[in-house]
Formats: sequence, C-alpha cells, structure tokens
Amino acid sequence: MNARVSPLIAVAASLALASASVVAQRGGRAAQPPANPRAIAPSDFSGYWVSVVTEDWRWRMVTPAKGDYDSVPLNGAGRSAADTWDPARDEAAGEACRSYDAPAIMRVPGRIHITWENDTTLRVETEAGTQTRLFPFAGSTAGQSATQPTRQPSWQGQSVASWELSGRGGGMFGGPPPRPSGALKVVTTHIRPGYLRKNGVPFSAGTVLTEYYNVLGPEDNGDIWLVVTTIVQDPQYLNGRFFTSSHFKKLRDGPSWHPTPCRAS
Amino acid sequence: MSLLRTGLLALIAAAVTTPVAVMSQTGQPAPSKQASQSLVEYDDQVQRSATNNVDFTGEWAPRFHEDEPERVPGPELGDYLGIPVSDAARLRASAWEASIQTLPEWQCRPHSADYIWRGPSPIRIWKEVDPVSRQVTAWHAEWLRSVDRAIYMDGRPHPSANAPHTWAGFSTGEWDGDVLTIKTTHLKEGYVRRNGLPRSDVATMTEHWMLHNDVLTVATIVNDPVYLTEPFIRTTDYELDLHQWVPPYPCQVVEEVDRPRGVVPHTLPGKNTAVEDFAKRCGLPVEATRGGAETMYPDFREKIGHIISKCIAAQR
Repeated sequence: MNARVSPLIAVAASLALASASVVAQRGGRAAQPPANPRAIAPSDFSGYWVSVVTEDWRWRMVTPAKGDYDSVPLNGAGRSAADTWDPARDEAAGEACRSYDAPAIMRVPGRIHITWENDTTLRVETEAGTQTRLFPFAGSTAGQSATQPTRQPSWQGQSVASWELSGRGGGMFGGPPPRPSGALKVVTTHIRPGYLRKNGVPFSAGTVLTEYYNVLGPEDNGDIWLVVTTIVQDPQYLNGRFFTSSHFKKLRDGPSWHPTPCRAS
Repeated sequence: MSLLRTGLLALIAAAVTTPVAVMSQTGQPAPSKQASQSLVEYDDQVQRSATNNVDFTGEWAPRFHEDEPERVPGPELGDYLGIPVSDAARLRASAWEASIQTLPEWQCRPHSADYIWRGPSPIRIWKEVDPVSRQVTAWHAEWLRSVDRAIYMDGRPHPSANAPHTWAGFSTGEWDGDVLTIKTTHLKEGYVRRNGLPRSDVATMTEHWMLHNDVLTVATIVNDPVYLTEPFIRTTDYELDLHQWVPPYPCQVVEEVDRPRGVVPHTLPGKNTAVEDFAKRCGLPVEATRGGAETMYPDFREKIGHIISKCIAAQR
C-alpha cells in the first residue's frame, strides 16, 4: 500500500511545487519588502503649479452670491446652513479660513507648491490662504499618527497618502502583483467644519475627502498638467458624493509666488 | 509492477517540474510565452498588455457638479468666462442666435467628440476585442445625442488631412502608465460652448482617461489655431452606474419655424447688445465675460478686483 501511495504523493508534491513556482515566476503572490514611497514614485508631482480656471469660474474667481449653490448636491440641511452664511461673523470669529480647508482648497484659484518633506511625506503649499497640507504615506510613522482618533480637527485635516495600485493580481492564475500606477491617492479626515464654496456651502465634521492626483503629459507643446479628482462624502449635508476635478499647469519659468491670507468673503 | 509504476510516475513528475529547474538555474523568471505553453494555462499577459490592466467598460453617469447651469439647461448668451477664445471666436459668437437650432440642418446635429464630455448625457464605453488574439483593438464611447466614437488601439496612422471630417473625428489611443491618452483629428466644425463659441475643423484634441475605482475622470485639451489662443482644458467626472442605460435617440427633422427658405438666424456683428446681459445680471465686468486666456489664470482677479457675484438661481 505504501509503495503505491508514495509515488502519487511525490507527483502531487511536484505538481504543487511547479504550480507555486509558476505563480512566483509571475510575481503573483511573492511578498514585497516595504518600499520607500519617494523612491518608487511613479510620477513627479514636485514643483510649482498654477490653477487654470476654465470651469466653475463664477464660483471660484469671484465670491458667489449667498444662496448660489448650483451644482453642489446639497440636501435640505445643507441648503438651510448655506442660507445662513455671514462672512462678517466668520471674520469676527477668526474663521476666515473656512473656505480654504481641505475639501475646497484645490478649487481656490492660485499657485501651489509641491515638495517632498521627507521620503514618506509630500507637502503641498498654497498661495491662497497660505495653507499647508501634509500627505504622509500609509505605513509611515506620520501616516499612522494621522489616523489617531485623538487628533484635533484642523482646516487641512489629517491625510494619509498611498500610490494607487494597478491591477489586483487577478486573472485565472493570479497575474502580476499590483504596482504603483501613476496616481497619488490621498484620504483626509479630521477636518474642521467649513465651506465647500466661499459663500457658505457647508460640510460637516464627519466629512471624508478622497483625492486622486494624476500628472499628465508633456503635451505636444510641452505643457505638463496636474489633475486632482476630489470626492467629498458628507452624510450630514450632501445627498451623495460630491465630485470635482481641478487642473493645474506646471510652471516652467520660475514661480511668482504671492501667498495671500484667508478672507471670509 | 510496482517499481515500473513508480518509475513512470517519477518521469511524469520530472517532466512537469523541468521548467522550474530551468528557471532556478538561470535565476531569471521564465518568459511568459514559455509559461503559456502549458495545457492548463493561458497567457493572460496578452490581454493585460492590451488593456494595461485598466478596463473602462461600463455605463457611466455624468455628475454635473461643475458648471451645471451651463451643461444641463445651457449656457447664457455672452458667457465666455475662463475660455481662451480669440477675437475671431468672439466676433462669430456675437453673431450667433439660439434659434439657429431650429433649422432642419441643426435639429439633429450631434455634439462633437470634444464637446460631448460636457454635454447632458450618460456614456457607455465598451471595448472591441479581436476574436483570435483577444487583444483590444479599439475602445468605443457612445453618448445620448451623439455618434459611436471609436478609439483605435491597433497602431494605425491617422488618415490624410484631406480625409472626411466627422462629428466623432478620428481617434487613436495609447497608454501612458494607467492613463489612456487619445489623439483626435478630423473633427467637423463644432463649438466649445453651446452659446455660439465656435471650434474650427482644424482643431485637434488630446484626451486623458483616468480610472479611479468607480470614478472616471477625463481631461480634454483642445487646440484650435483659429478660435483659441491657448490650449483649452476641461476635466469631467463620471460615476460607474450599473443600472444605467443609454437610450436610443431617433431624432426626426421637422419644420419648427415657418421662415423663408434660405434664412439663417443671426445678428450682424456689433449689433448684438444681448451678449452683455449676462455680465449686467451677474454684476461681473463685461471684459471678464468676454473670455480670453487671461481670464483663466488666478492673477486675473487682481485686475477685476474683489467682486461678489449677483448670479443666483438664474436657471433653476
């Protein structure tokens, strides 16, 4: 009996070994060592960029009228809150930066400056409102700290970054492992309640902001673009997810950097 | 008998494991073609390289969270805010009359490939797959009130400049990482906004399709040496909607307005004072509403000063 079973077990073991190796050849399941986010960055996000306002001009380049919340999927509570907008009150309360917070800041016209603060954290500075956003990568010490519930809410909230991965190791036999695809994903929470637009269109403390950053080009004329897809989820004031995408052109000739303070109107 | 059987099975095992031995000797991964020779495997790398692990297939619902008043009910006359139009474009737009849409030649005119992304329409995207190689040879995009648009992925060249121009134009795509980049030429004359701002038939368009889970963001960059002074970029978002259906749009031409044969609604240059109504109603400087590349950039705000708009619920 043993003499008959042993060879079968040997064959099965060989087949299993061969199968596992084939997977390993494709890299399907092999464990990857933790990588340095800066070293494996699939795109160069660093540099000075200027927003090009070809969309939502009348809500971005000038202060919209009170009650003008067209395009935003506000629910009844959101509209009621927006109708109480009082910029003088915000200014007096030291809350002039309410429309420069994380869910809104990439829509505010101006230049931005992106740098690597260190190997695991991207830094975004804005002219408008002189704001600073930090994007620590998941897995880093700063990234883990950003998710702690004890963090106090702030205008720019707590962000955690990751490289968007392409592929999921799918297919009948697994396929190649996911790899950084070119997009930067940033999820931000712990945001101090503020405005999606300057005219008091509100978001609440429970808001979750998800952003995707893509670098495009160079185009035929040499232009390089940064596109930021922004998704705001706020069950208190929105009927559904709020989508916008903002585009920035890379500045080649050196920046003309003019930081400006927040203003409530 | 037992020995013979054991030996036979060992030979089979050796045959199966031979590729592994070869690989371990070289220390290099075996080429995917070698792996695909097995009877129990197929080489899905072929399909993966054709789609680059990204599949746009599906029904996509537009989210009008940007410029909704312009995109759904329609733009106001004289609103060229933030568009890098040339003087020629302004002149022609000022002669435009909305009632031109009632002409038989215009009633069923589809939106062109560059405008339709901003139009009030859902989209269906599907891929054309070669039945033998299983490679994706083209992507197709279909909207309401538009035509089937093919984006060829098989490396074919663009046709001669003298080839016919169409509403969809001629598009070829290639991958730039996970972004599908598309070049479109051979567009028929169209518009960049539905208030008469023209786009010429020598314009070209570059698109970048970006997929982020169930969100599709498309950047369109239009270059038009006739009616634009700088590239005109817009980015538009769609959400995957498995319950959506893009219905047919069997447009039928009818006699909408009884007018003499040959009459084309228009306003003579310089005579259309209505193009300034939008600026007055919204409390915006007329020079801003006339557009131009300068109005796209943040520094333009220093020129016009601090303004609180009067626009509100104009088109609800």
